[in-house]
Formats: sequence, C-alpha cells, structure tokens
Amino acid sequence: MSADRSEILQGTLDLMVLKTLDTMGSLHGYGVARRIEQISEEALQINQGTIYASLVRLLQKGWITSAWGTSENNRKAKFYSITRSGKKQLNAEAESWERIASVIGRVLRAERG
Amino acid sequence: MFVFVRMFASKIRSWISRRREDREFRQELAGHLEMLTHENIRCGMSPAEANRIAHVRLGGITQLQETNRELKGLPMLETLVQDIRYAFRMLRKNPGFMAIAVLTLAFGIGANSAIFTAVDTLALRPLPYRNPERLVTIGSREAHHPEAQEWISAPTLFDLQDGAQSFSAVAGISPVWNNIVTGRENAERLESLYVSAGFFPMLGVQPAIGRDFRADEDARTKGANVVILSYAYWQRQFGGNPAAVGQTLSVSQIPFTIIGILPRDFLYLGEPVAGTPSQIDLWMPLATNPLIARPRNVRFLKGIGQTKDGVSVAQAQQEILRMGDAFAKQFADSDAGLEFGVAPLSASVSGRLRPMMLLLLGAVGFVLLMACANVANLLLTLAGARGKELAVRTALGASRLRLLRQLLTESALLSGLGGVAGIAIAYGALRGLVALAPATLVQGRTIHLDARALLFTTAAVLVSALLSGLPPALRILSADAGIGLRETGRGFTGGHHRFRSALVVAQMSLALALLVGAGLFIRGFVKLLDVNPGFDVQHVATFSTQVPVTTTSTVPQVVALDRALIDRLRQAQGVREIGAVSRLPLLGTSLGSTLTIEGRSFSAQEYRSIEYRVASPGYFPAMGIPLIAGRLFDDHDDSNAKGVAVIDEAAAQQFWGAQNPVGQHIKLGPNPEKQDWITVIGVVGNVHHVGLEALPVPEVYRPISFSALGSPIIVARSEGTPAALLPVLTSAMRSYNSALPVYNSFSMETLVERSVAQRRFLMTLLSGFACAALFLAAIGIYGTISQSIAQRTREMGLRIALGAQPRDVLKMVLAQGMQLAALGVVIGGLSAAALTRMIRSLLFQVSPFDVGVFFVAAITLCAVALFACFAPTLRATRVDPLVALRHE
Repeated sequence: MSADRSEILQGTLDLMVLKTLDTMGSLHGYGVARRIEQISEEALQINQGTIYASLVRLLQKGWITSAWGTSENNRKAKFYSITRSGKKQLNAEAESWERIASVIGRVLRAERG
Repeated sequence: MFVFVRMFASKIRSWISRRREDREFRQELAGHLEMLTHENIRCGMSPAEANRIAHVRLGGITQLQETNRELKGLPMLETLVQDIRYAFRMLRKNPGFMAIAVLTLAFGIGANSAIFTAVDTLALRPLPYRNPERLVTIGSREAHHPEAQEWISAPTLFDLQDGAQSFSAVAGISPVWNNIVTGRENAERLESLYVSAGFFPMLGVQPAIGRDFRADEDARTKGANVVILSYAYWQRQFGGNPAAVGQTLSVSQIPFTIIGILPRDFLYLGEPVAGTPSQIDLWMPLATNPLIARPRNVRFLKGIGQTKDGVSVAQAQQEILRMGDAFAKQFADSDAGLEFGVAPLSASVSGRLRPMMLLLLGAVGFVLLMACANVANLLLTLAGARGKELAVRTALGASRLRLLRQLLTESALLSGLGGVAGIAIAYGALRGLVALAPATLVQGRTIHLDARALLFTTAAVLVSALLSGLPPALRILSADAGIGLRETGRGFTGGHHRFRSALVVAQMSLALALLVGAGLFIRGFVKLLDVNPGFDVQHVATFSTQVPVTTTSTVPQVVALDRALIDRLRQAQGVREIGAVSRLPLLGTSLGSTLTIEGRSFSAQEYRSIEYRVASPGYFPAMGIPLIAGRLFDDHDDSNAKGVAVIDEAAAQQFWGAQNPVGQHIKLGPNPEKQDWITVIGVVGNVHHVGLEALPVPEVYRPISFSALGSPIIVARSEGTPAALLPVLTSAMRSYNSALPVYNSFSMETLVERSVAQRRFLMTLLSGFACAALFLAAIGIYGTISQSIAQRTREMGLRIALGAQPRDVLKMVLAQGMQLAALGVVIGGLSAAALTRMIRSLLFQVSPFDVGVFFVAAITLCAVALFACFAPTLRATRVDPLVALRHE
C-alpha cells in the first residue's frame, strides 16, 4: 500500500517538476524546489532533496537536459531545462491527469450523492 | 519502448562515469544548501540556525546521495560485480579447492565440447551442399533381399529423369568397376566416379577452375571423354597449374580432356560407392561408363535426386513407388519383385552414424554430470567452513535471494573458468580424437572447434554452474540460520550429511551405468575379435594391381597375363602360396548374382541371391580357406572353364541342405535361359565376406579362366611375417613390369583391423569415459567420507576413549562408505538396465542385460569405492582421544 502511494507521489512530483521547467525555463534544483513550494502555497511540504531524484528520472528519460551555469549568487550550479520530447510528454501527462482527476471527482461526488 | 532504451543507455553512461557524477551531485547539493541558508538568513535567522534548518529542509545528504547513486547506477550490475569480486576473494583464499573444482569442470566441459564438435560435424550438421534437405537417394533392390545395397539400372535412371514430377533433377552415380591408370609418369590408380551432367549443379557446386559437364557431354548413352579433377589431385599432379585444364589424361588407355577443377572444400559425402572412404579424384560423365547401354537387369547406378521446392520426401517417395509398380508391370522380366526406396541423402551419409554418435554424447554428458556432483560436494564443504559467515549475513538482513545469487555466482565463476580451460582441453582432445578416428568415420571432413562448439561450451558452462551451484546453495539456504550462529566453528555442515550422501549415491549410479555400457561394448568387441573370419589372418599379405589390358584384349589373353603375373610372383622370396581374387573379404556385400539350380524351381519370394567372386586356383590355399568337399579349381579347368564353380558351406547349407552339392548343376544371373549349366566341383569353408559381425552369406567362386581379372587382387601367404613380404612383392612387381601399379597393399591383419575400426573407436571412447567416471566417483566418495570423519572427530575420540578398538572404528566408517556404494550400485544397476536396452542395436552378440558385465562393473565400482574410503578411515582410527575431545 505504501509502495503504491509513493509511486503515485513520485509520478506527481515528476509532473510538477516538468511543468515548472516548462513555465520557468532554465532553473537549478533549488529554484525548482522553491517554485513548487510557492505555487502550492507551502501546502506541499516536501524534503527539497527529493526534487533531485525526480530530476534524475526525467534526465534519464530524456525529457529534460542539464548544464552547468552560474547561479544568482555567483556560484556554480546545475541548470535544468525541458526538452521537446519533455514538452510532448508534459502535454500528454497533463491531459491524462486532468481526465483522471475529473473522473475521480465525478466518482467521489456520485458516491457522496 | 524507446524511453527504456534511452534510460538504459543513460544508466550505463552514468555507471561508467559514476565517480564524477557522484562528485558533481555533492557540489550540486552543496550549492543548494548554500542558497537555502542564504534565504534563511535573509528571513532573519542566525547563520547557525539558518544552516541547521537548511539541512532539515533538504533532507539527509548521505541518504540523498545513496538514492541518487541507486537511480543512476545499474544495481544488478553492481551487485554482480560485487559478487564476482567476492567470489574471487573466496576462491583465492582456497586455491587448492579452486584448482580441483576448475580442473574437474574443465575436464567435464572440455570432453563434452570435443565430443559434441565431432558428433556435430559427423552426424548432426546439414550436408555442405545447397538445399541439403531437398537431396534424396533413390534406389531399388529385390524385395526378398532387404539387406542388399540399392542400385538402379541406366534405363530406370532415364525413365526417372523423364517421368518423375517430384524432382527438379535426378542424377546417376556409378562407381568405376575397372580401376584406372593414368598415363602420366608412374602408373597410378585413382578413385573415380561417373556422374550425370546434372550432379554438380544439383549440389550447388561449381568447378573452381574451368567448367562443369555440358549436357551434350552426357547425352544418355553418348558421352564425351572429358574429366573433372579434384582439387587435391590437381595440386598433386599438376602443382595447381591452371593450364591443366585443356590437357589430356590417359584413363585406362583412353584419352580424357580435363575440363575443370573442383573447389578445394568440396567433399563427396555420399556412401562410399567405390568401396573406399577416400575422396574421389576423377569425375567423368556417366555416359562414358561402358555399362551405360546395358539393359534394365544390369543395375549399377546409385540414384540421387533433388526434390522440387515444396515437395516433401514422402511425396517424392510416393511417386517413385508408383513408378516402380509401373516398371514392374511393363518390364516384368527385369523389374518384377523390385522394391524402390527414397531416403534423405543425409540419412545415408550420417544417419547410420547417429545412434553411435548420440551414445557417445550421452556418455560424455554423464561424465559432466559427475564432475558437477563433485564440484557441488566441494562447494558444500567450502560453504560448511563459511557457515558462520553466511549465518551472520542472514541475521544482518541479507535476503535469501541475495545469498543464493552470491553462491550461484561462485559456481558460475568456477564453471566459467572451467569452460575457458575446457576449451583448451577440447582443442587437444579433438586432435587426439581425429587421430584416433577411423578414416571411414571422418570421410575427409575437417573437425575443429567453431562457433557452434563455442555456443555448446557456453551452454555446458551454464548448465554446470546451475547443476554444481544450485543444489548446495538451496541446501545451505534451507538450513536454519540460527544453528549456524550458535554452533561455533562447525557452521551448517552438520545437517548436510544426507545431502552429500545423496550426491555420492548419484555419482555411484552414473559411474555404474557408464561402466556397464563400456563393459557391454568391450565384451562384444572381444567376441567380435574371436569370430573366425574363415581365412588365415596372420600370414597373408595382399596388394592390388592391374594387368596391361587393351580394348582389343580377349579373355584368354588376359587370363594369360594374370597367370604370368602370378607365376612370376610365386618365385618371390618368402612366398609360400599365392593367388588372385576379384574382391577381398570383410568389405560388405557386392552386387551379387541370382542362382538357378537344375531340376528345381524357385518361387518369386524364395531367397536365391548369392555373392560372387572370381578366384585363381591358388587363392584358397593362400588364404587358408579349407576345402570341405570335392576339389578346388586347377589349371586343367581351362578346357571347360566356363562349366565349373566352387561354393561355400553357407551356400551348400542354404540351397542343398543335407544333400551333396558337388556334381550339381547351376546357372548364375538374371537370364538363365541364355546360359550354359555350371557344375559345382567343390565346397570350401565359409568366409566372413560381408563383415565379422555379419553371418557368412552364400558365395559362389568362378575360376579366372572364365572371367579374367583386369585388376587382380593378389593374396600371398608368407613364410615369415606378412609385413616383411610386402616390400618383397612390390620389388618383384617392379622387376616384372614397372608400368603396373601397386596399391592397397597391406596385411590381412590390417584388413580385419579396418573392418572393426569404428567399433574399436567407440569402445575406446566409452572405456575412457567409464574410467573418468570411476575416478570422479572415487573422488566423490573419498571427499564425503573424509568430511564426515572430520565432523565426527570428537565422536571418534569419545568412542576410542571409551574403549573402542581401531578395528571397530574402521568397520564403522567403512560400513558407512560401503552402504553408499551399495545403494549406488543398486540404483545404477537398475538405471543401466533401462538404458542399455537403447543401445541393443549397437551391441554385437551381447545381451544388454549381460549378467557377467553387470557383475564385473558392480565389483569394480565397489572395489574402487572401498579403496577410496580406506585412507580417510585409517585416519579415523588414529584419532588421539585427547586431541579429539579438545577439538573445537
């Protein structure tokens, strides 16, 4: 049960990272983590470190790329950006996410009613 | 799908540069922490507080690094590398163990690879021709003579070529009855075949130089005198000069133009139709065979056909049978009672070898099984010593699967090393095998390790890894981890005794089965060598030659040549008796003839076939063939030579029974009405003409004055050894007429040896495997008993301390070993009895349940087991009770 749940969360996090990189362009790990926290209005309390597992998975699938650059405080940092296949994947995933969400929502409402 | 490939590639890249990736990730995290700390400070925290909170927010650095490594790496590969490294360390710590295990496996795997390679080349691989599965042999024989060779006549061949719809081509092959002398330099006799023009295209073979036969050079009965040479002969005689094409070769005084040279790797693998396994040197158009215009009752051709694409052998067979029926009606005189047959060419080439080859493969497979059992036993011993370590690892949470993988990696490593060494062993063994193998078996094929052999070796390695590694691994893992922790030093070993015993019993059974198999073959072989061939093997030498016959020679002229030659050789030093014959014994059946007896009518079904030889008067005394009744030929038979014949006892028995055949009148051949009566003048002893293992068949001898020998086979009985006589005969031939060739010269002992060479080869290999099995079984039982005694040192000490005599201890331990051996003998005996039934067809006059063989095998095995148990047992009796009790 717990394994299933973490898997869902993993997928969700990957999707959020992908979306973040899509809207923000190139970002380092810290930036991605901060952005997700802000957007979710601090509702999502994650260890910022888990972002990195997500980034590795997306890199391996070829949906994002990485390059070393310089951060705003003049430090060397790794910047991530979405690739074309990543964008395609994001569209597909977002669509299916919305569909599932609406289905689940309908089911839950029906049960309540 | 594509994503997986990309992920895998990326993982491999990361794994290769994993150190750099690790360093970069640390930098990345450090940067992250710094940014987070800055942010916290900006929010008003003290630097120390900011740093602490940053660490909390990010999560444990070590844990993150671990996750990152896991994600990026190849966990499977990493543990594998770890396992292999660990296994290497284990084995390095036990070099003796490692050497024994690797050598045992190398021996087993090497022997298997070598035998597989030989078996594969000789009997399993498709023939080296184009579309070999479409090539079939077509033949016919008299229905009541099923053991006879299959032949067809020239008119039948033409009918098949014209009428058979199932075939895209039908060719005839004909051996050359009259041997050939070339006119170049020294007279030389060459193996030659007449073949249809369509023969080489059918096999997908093209001459390397020059051209193939044209259709007009083999137009039914009208042929052109052209010849294609083998690559080997071309190299030998023409030094590989391409200008040989176009030159003429005098073949039996007839000039033939050389038109082509066959490719170097071309092998004729058909049945040795010329009666010899050596490769064919000359190929001539079938139409140049003098027999080609003979009628249907002269059957001298081997038919070979290529079925049309999509036509099965069964369909082709159906059609040929239908055609055969039609021939029988249309040509009742010659074709009635003939039975046609179609069989894949591969069956005639390798089919007869297959049972023997599979037996070898099975036997050597047993040896590998035994080697695996020994290594399993060794691994178990090693694991015993490591019981504590494994128990600790289990207790610390290593999963069973992980430990299983670890143990299997060790056995795989051993098998892999064994495989590498095994290939070296196989290489050497194959060379020995090829040197040992009789020429009739190898037929000029090259046997060497190739990709298929390596593939087989790999499979053997994997099987060995599983067989030697899995049983002990499962055994160890099923043992209770707690015991290992509690018992100091001894680890798991205590519980393995039964398992080990089972391994020993299995080994004993396998060894017994192999011993019985080898024993049956040895017994059969001894019986075979005991068979009296019907002639003097010890004192007779033979060689073949040719007398200078021309196309205009008359029979009396050739007879005079034969006589002059024999008379001249009789003068040679050391010759006691000398004679000539048309064909030596032990060479299988020849064409034979049909017997007609005066005053008797045979029904169509009745057996009336008789083998046929031409012999000079001196042949019988020279060969030591005894006269049973009547008289032999003499030189006075000239006047009425056509009218006399000598028969053997088998013929007398078969056709006359108790009656005296001497003085009876017979006719020979399929058309008796055209012939004169022949008087039987004598009966001689039986000779094993077909082979030692076949019963003597009815035989009729005619005098040379009736059928002169153009290529007589001379047999000479020597005063001394036949080997000493051979050079004397050769020089006598030289001084008589140096233009006459001398070939196939050997002693009768050689002839007998050649006829049993295949059996001897099989028996030698099987005996070798049985010895190896015996050795492995001895090691197995030795190891198990030693181990068991080592474990029971304390018990032994106690017993001795309590007053047991060394004799009692000796008895106890030996009894334990012998129990295992006895159980193995019983199980092995039963399985052997089940297995030997399958080799019945390969045995000569030995029952597959021969009690003597089973008994001797069982005694041998028990004796070896007893011997193997003795050393560790003696050690047990010398246990010092004080030392033993302090043990552990």
